[in-house]
Amino acid sequence: MKKSIIISALLTLMVVFSAVAQDGKDKFMVQVDGLGCPFCAYGLEKKFKEFKGIKNVKIDIETGDFSFSYPAEKALTLVDVEKQVEKAGYTPITAKVERANGEIEESSASEMTKKSEGTVSKNVMVSGNCAMCEARITKAAESVQGVSAVSWDKDTKIMNVSFDSELTSLEKIEKEVAVAGHDTKNHQAHTDDYGNLPACCKYERLSYK
Amino acid sequence: MRKSICILIVLVFASACKEKATVPKEWVLSKTIQLDGVNPIGLTQVNGAIWLSDGDHNRLVKIDTEGKITETVDSLDRPMHIDAIKETIFIPQYGKDVIETVDKKGRFIMQVSDSLDAPAGVSVYENERAIADFYNNRILYFDGKSWISFGKEGKAEGEFYYPTDVQITKDKIWVADAYNNRVQVFDKKGGFLQMMGQNQKMNAATGIFVSVDEVFVTDFENNRVLVFNKTGELLQVLKDQIEKPTDMMIKDDMLYIINYRNGKLNIFDKQPIVMKD
Repeated sequence: MKKSIIISALLTLMVVFSAVAQDGKDKFMVQVDGLGCPFCAYGLEKKFKEFKGIKNVKIDIETGDFSFSYPAEKALTLVDVEKQVEKAGYTPITAKVERANGEIEESSASEMTKKSEGTVSKNVMVSGNCAMCEARITKAAESVQGVSAVSWDKDTKIMNVSFDSELTSLEKIEKEVAVAGHDTKNHQAHTDDYGNLPACCKYERLSYK
Repeated sequence: MRKSICILIVLVFASACKEKATVPKEWVLSKTIQLDGVNPIGLTQVNGAIWLSDGDHNRLVKIDTEGKITETVDSLDRPMHIDAIKETIFIPQYGKDVIETVDKKGRFIMQVSDSLDAPAGVSVYENERAIADFYNNRILYFDGKSWISFGKEGKAEGEFYYPTDVQITKDKIWVADAYNNRVQVFDKKGGFLQMMGQNQKMNAATGIFVSVDEVFVTDFENNRVLVFNKTGELLQVLKDQIEKPTDMMIKDDMLYIINYRNGKLNIFDKQPIVMKD
């Protein structure tokens, strides 16, 4: 009797585990630049309806986080997903998929450089408005080789960046952030780069003496 | 005798001047109603009752004076800026690319001359219709006989960058040119007439309402509603309790403004301007 209970329990656990691990759906998570209002969020959702079988669509207009699940047998790629985001009029920042078989894929996200002994941490003012700005600023700073950690506070407008001083400098990081469209304390973004920002990210320009 | 006549004339003139003098007024918040589980995007009225489109929950709701839901129209796909005439409500369904009408006779799909891509707003005026066609960056207008289309993507006069709302008045068509952060006004042939709000640093001008004397525009990201006169002069900026506003209307001389994010209905009335020391 005891033996059969144990076997039943094991079988139940296996079924549950199998259902959780392989429900036949790939789960996609994308951070999208340019979402700011329900019109944008619903627009993104609408364009993804073209992917028949899409389920569990969730969009956070504050952070730009967008997730959905999709039948694994259709083998939807991250490239397809990124193209569809662009078709909807927005820009994918990062993309990740957890496949039904447990594999994880990420888009060309730059791997963070490990902190080294020469790591320094600096604060600098960077203009911006919202969570979208935060994602863009941190992405730009992280793209600089040698940068190990970045954070930006939308209230204080202060970017804290940790980097290997033997590989890069605060000046180089500020320049990269400015190229992304954000004025920093020492580098003004080009008018065209500022102009390319979505409407919700159009901050008050800094004046430089 | 001559003296009395002169005094009488002076008094008559003085009386006339007094009648003409108008007391300057401004909109003042009088009441805020917290809606229960509604994220409103559009509002309209039918027989004095308020209807809201609840985009997040794919429905229309009718509310009472306390904000309680008394009736619901379900199974919609992202209903946006609605409008009504007599007892018929017109609902642009952003996710389904149709305008649906709802009244006592039932639910019907409005016939449109061309395919839509995310209709964000609709306006009805007598037998005229207008649609803000979001992804196509254009306005479709029906004059009672035929449809015309005007606008294309761009920043120049007559061009749009994601229009989200539209209103027809007696001789004009008013467009919330949302991501150009301005209002554009057209004649009924689609000809550009004027622009307003372009210098007000708006950030997503998502909703518009035009009254007899004023033009109200939601400045979504900046949590404001701007009030202009018909020539585009800024009269007032409303901020009190305004958070992510999406639409407005005037009912019984009161201004109703809805907040999308926190589901509030703010009611303003017009009061004499109090001069501060």
